Amino acid sequence: MKQLQTWWQSPKQRRQLLTAISGLLILLALVGKYLLNQTNWHNGLMAAAALTAGSDIALRAWHSLRQRHISIELLVTIATVGALVIGEYWEAAAVTFLFLFGAYLEARTLGQTRRILQGLLELAPTTAIVLRDGRQTEVMPHEVLPGEMVLVKPGTKIPVDGEVVDGRSAVDESAITGESIPAEKVSGTAVYAGTVNQAGLLKVKAIGIGADTTLARIIRRVEEAQEEKAPTQRFIERFARWYTPFIILLSGAAILVTRDLDLALTLLVIGCPGALVISTPVSIVAGIGRAAKRGILIKGGEYLENAGKISALALDKTGTLTVGQPAVTDVVVLQTAVAAGANGGTDVMERDKEQVLYWAAIAEAGSEHPLAQAIVAAADSADPIPVADEFETFTGQGVHATYLGHEIGVGTTDLMADLGIAVPTTAQRHLEKQQTEGKTAVLVALDGLVIGVLGIADQLRPTAPEMMRRLQAAGLKKIVMLTGDNARTAQAIADAAGIHDVHAGLLPEDKLNIIRQLQAEGHVVAMVGDGINDAPALATADIGIAMGAAGTDVAIETADIALMTDDLLKIPEALQLSRATLNNIRQNVVIALVTVALLLTGVLLGKVHMAGGMLIHEASVMIVILNGMRLLRTREEIEPGSSLPR
Amino acid sequence: MKTLLRSQDLSCPSCVAKIENALQKLDGVTNAKVHFNTGRIEIEHDPDAAPTAKLVQTVRETGYEAAVAAF
Repeated sequence: MKQLQTWWQSPKQRRQLLTAISGLLILLALVGKYLLNQTNWHNGLMAAAALTAGSDIALRAWHSLRQRHISIELLVTIATVGALVIGEYWEAAAVTFLFLFGAYLEARTLGQTRRILQGLLELAPTTAIVLRDGRQTEVMPHEVLPGEMVLVKPGTKIPVDGEVVDGRSAVDESAITGESIPAEKVSGTAVYAGTVNQAGLLKVKAIGIGADTTLARIIRRVEEAQEEKAPTQRFIERFARWYTPFIILLSGAAILVTRDLDLALTLLVIGCPGALVISTPVSIVAGIGRAAKRGILIKGGEYLENAGKISALALDKTGTLTVGQPAVTDVVVLQTAVAAGANGGTDVMERDKEQVLYWAAIAEAGSEHPLAQAIVAAADSADPIPVADEFETFTGQGVHATYLGHEIGVGTTDLMADLGIAVPTTAQRHLEKQQTEGKTAVLVALDGLVIGVLGIADQLRPTAPEMMRRLQAAGLKKIVMLTGDNARTAQAIADAAGIHDVHAGLLPEDKLNIIRQLQAEGHVVAMVGDGINDAPALATADIGIAMGAAGTDVAIETADIALMTDDLLKIPEALQLSRATLNNIRQNVVIALVTVALLLTGVLLGKVHMAGGMLIHEASVMIVILNGMRLLRTREEIEPGSSLPR
Repeated sequence: MKTLLRSQDLSCPSCVAKIENALQKLDGVTNAKVHFNTGRIEIEHDPDAAPTAKLVQTVRETGYEAAVAAF
């Protein structure tokens, strides 16, 4: 009994119970009529079914009426009462049952689209183990204090945003980045709340806690995005606002003019613009939710619609197309005698290269210059780098150091001239060759002799050519590269990526002007940048896309589309998903409008009656929802590029 | 105080105004916003005059189940 009471108090369960009873009564009535030929049961059972299901509808209609709100429930209630009065018991039963059952199915399926985010919410960790006074204490994740040490055991969720101070592990970050391959975490790397520690014990210093974590921000951002109305939705809602009053008037007119009560009641039944009002939201919620799951944050419906219309894409070079950190790409050996204990073959070549890097790294180890760091990083794989005995930097030229009595110089020809070291013509030639390839080249000298040339360049991301292929396959014609870097370096990167349209040596406002110019040519322009120095161009573009947004709040908050990782292939994926969503919205709007038109025509011509009208109406709502849900289907197993038209 | 409810029951946007009105008519509720797309219900209220349980009850009376959510 108590069970029944709690059931009754929950509107959802009560409705399910009423729907089931109503359906059962209808079934009994049909069995009675067609199998047992008991027509006199039939009407009574049908009326009972209508009253059972109708009671809940009438109750809700009454609640709305008290709020001075003419609801769809009220229209259905009037129609049902009317049908019972004129003796259309079957119609009354069918209308009320279909209305409740339809609403149940719709809420259930809509719930599934909403639940894609629920998945993210469930990722939120439930406990945290902190070290307090040297002891392990279990607390709620939001009770962790900033700066506290948190222990994360293998197989558990990381409870806070923070930095690893001890331990080594692989962490599944798919919740944040959409990347399924676990990320390697060692001392010094950042970790995010909600990601799963897979292998080892990690000691993490808490930085972001509770609502101040990347996960919480993503959820907030995604929900705000889903709630923001797309232009199509606003248009549809304006239409829908007039639709219901229009139908009520039409129904009134039908009684006055034709005295046809059946027609008037049927009009009331189809008075809800259900499929219309739901057509856009369902696609938007599904599209944005799906994108979020793949590490693509889209700011809102409007941006999703715009992104679906992109015809030109501008890419920033440094940090977007490239890794953003210089690395040694070429090692030229000029003095083969540097390697001690040479034993012939390619081995010697490798040994010599290592030696050039080794000596250069000793000299550069003390320097903070980015190029110095690239050299040290390149030499790191060989022997450990000793510390130089003496060290001196020449700003803009290079460094000079001594180690165990050896004199080392690394830098430009000017530096060599200052140090009194002759630069041979072969070295000069290599230097120039590297520079034409867009690289920064430095000379390495040991004890008064130039022993090698190092070429240093920012590295193109390996996925860049594949990204270009997919963008072009998707029919994106205009792809330009914008950079503040010099023309030679820019051209080298553009060639490697397969970009033909290059604008180099730009100031931030020049980038902005190029975006404006593209827009003036009639393009819908997207700009991909790192979110800070490209800010004006990102803001001017129709769609600003920020890369590697995990951990950088600014990008998550400001970019129209924020990609959580540095994966360039997310750009074509975001584009494709936006287009798919835009198409989905259009399909849904067409389905809804056509249904309304057909239904109205059918009713006015007397071809469609109450039960049929309700059935078609509810079916159209379901079709629209199911169509929207297609966007949720994972297509990871299919290469995103392969499904595009060639 | 700001409280967030989540409902999985919203099936037609027509319910939005109904729930908002019912909540706003409560003493102690200064603002209520229903987001149909996500099923979120944001309420600004005075927890003494309008406790959270009362909010859930009010939404329930309009015919929809909702539960308090952390974020």
